[in-house]
Amino acid sequence: MSAIISMTLKSIFRDRVFQGIMVTALVFLLIPAIASLSMRQVTELSLTLSLSMISVILLLLSVFLGGTSLWKDIERRYTYSVLGLPISRTGYLLGRFGGTALFVLLTALLLGAMAFGVVMYSSAAYPPARPIVWSAMALCILFDALKYILLIAVAFLFSTVSTSFFLPIFGTIAMYLVGGITQQVYEYIHSPASRELAPLLKQTALGLYYLMPNFGAFDLKVYAIYGLPVPVKGLFLTAAYFLVYTAFLLAVSTAVFSRREMK
Amino acid sequence: MVKTVSATLICMLLYGVLIIPFTRYLHNKPLVEKLGYVPSVTALKIVASDHKEMVGATLVMKALMYFGGVAERQQTRLAGDPLDYQGMSRILHGAVKLDPYNMDAYYFAQAFLTWDVKQYKLANNLLDYGMKYRTWDWYLPFFAGFNSAFFMKDYAAAARYYKLAGELSGSDLSKLLAGRYMQESGQTELAIAYLTAMVKSEKNENLKRSYQTRLAAFKEVRRIELARDRFKEIKGVLPTTVEQLMQGGFISPEPVDPYGGRFYLEPDGKVATTSKFAFAGVKNEKRQNTGESNERH
Repeated sequence: MSAIISMTLKSIFRDRVFQGIMVTALVFLLIPAIASLSMRQVTELSLTLSLSMISVILLLLSVFLGGTSLWKDIERRYTYSVLGLPISRTGYLLGRFGGTALFVLLTALLLGAMAFGVVMYSSAAYPPARPIVWSAMALCILFDALKYILLIAVAFLFSTVSTSFFLPIFGTIAMYLVGGITQQVYEYIHSPASRELAPLLKQTALGLYYLMPNFGAFDLKVYAIYGLPVPVKGLFLTAAYFLVYTAFLLAVSTAVFSRREMK
Repeated sequence: MVKTVSATLICMLLYGVLIIPFTRYLHNKPLVEKLGYVPSVTALKIVASDHKEMVGATLVMKALMYFGGVAERQQTRLAGDPLDYQGMSRILHGAVKLDPYNMDAYYFAQAFLTWDVKQYKLANNLLDYGMKYRTWDWYLPFFAGFNSAFFMKDYAAAARYYKLAGELSGSDLSKLLAGRYMQESGQTELAIAYLTAMVKSEKNENLKRSYQTRLAAFKEVRRIELARDRFKEIKGVLPTTVEQLMQGGFISPEPVDPYGGRFYLEPDGKVATTSKFAFAGVKNEKRQNTGESNERH
């Protein structure tokens, strides 16, 4: 499996994805200038921009790498030669997933380091009213990366059932949006404002809430930006949620992939 | 080869012809249109996903850029298009719904909601909302205290806000404002002290200039007030016009309203100006030339 992981990483680097990210990351250099337009919170704004920027790059990576990885192999008939080797389909799929996830983690690490630099520069030029909580910032980037690794698992599940890249790409984007609002739907259903809704609709929405991924807990931006105390217990729950949900998605994916007919 | 080169050249030429009217069209678009329509906050929250803080900050920037553009034009031409305050307020209220911690939104909204739009209650409600989140920030109660004392004359509420601001900041500024000015007669001095503090801490050029203009106006008002009091002390009666003060040598040089208006005295001795302390006020006065809708101070 480690062979597949390193092969995946190599092929991502060979596709010059990394160089693409580096060029995009040049935008980081503009952040201090943009943030200085703020009247009262220059450092907070540069944190907001940096964290959002990282989030967008990781989203694009997880959607496109996660959504095309398997499809490309099948389309180029690489799977034949790879699966001819003494390796199970499960090992192949997990290796592919592991490689992609590792690349996202690496990118998060690198972009995170750049963001630290940007924020350090901004806070030196315009000292913030409240000290920056660097650990909250690091946790925010880490949980962002976890969220996108979970999203890669979603993309892999779509890839195992689809013959083209449309479902994996658009399905993953849809799941990202859904995962961002499920908590709001839950809150709405439990608020007095939803009294008018039909009970069946409420039950369906609630069922979907438990079924769909919930990305709300992974968003720690507000804690990092304004230096608020991070809910430690909540983070352990979120990490456990990440492990269980990702494992579940991968289990279903491997089950489907093992039974899939390769034409 | 020749074909592709000529096609490229033709496209470049067409682009060159098109880009100038295109830019001009965008530049001359009415400002209300530029400030644009903000979809409902619920919809924005869904689309913003995990970028709520970013979308909130973008909304604030949008309002700020719009304000900067119009304010510059107003200052150079002494009057210009009226600002769409309602639109700005809507955008900033949306911004704090997305990110209730965004200080820029509170700061900017309270600045124009009070001085320009006179929606004091709305401004203080917004500041109260912010205080629930930014529990460490002394600026919010500081602003709310000033609004309560200066605009709403609610000295009990003002004292409460100032006490909170003093506790949070540990500085003397709030205490200074709290005591001496908590009365009707100290209003102009209160405004001068407040605006001086604002000018000092402001780094946005447009907003700073707007504060400086207002501060200059209040300093002139204070000068007239002092002259009026001396006049009354010596002559025993209130003066009726500013010219009377000048002729009597009570005030020199002539007070100038930086907003382009003309100072005058109301029957009860209050100092007022035809500009209503706004650039737009002069324009209105020129149009109506009645001098009735003036602001008292």
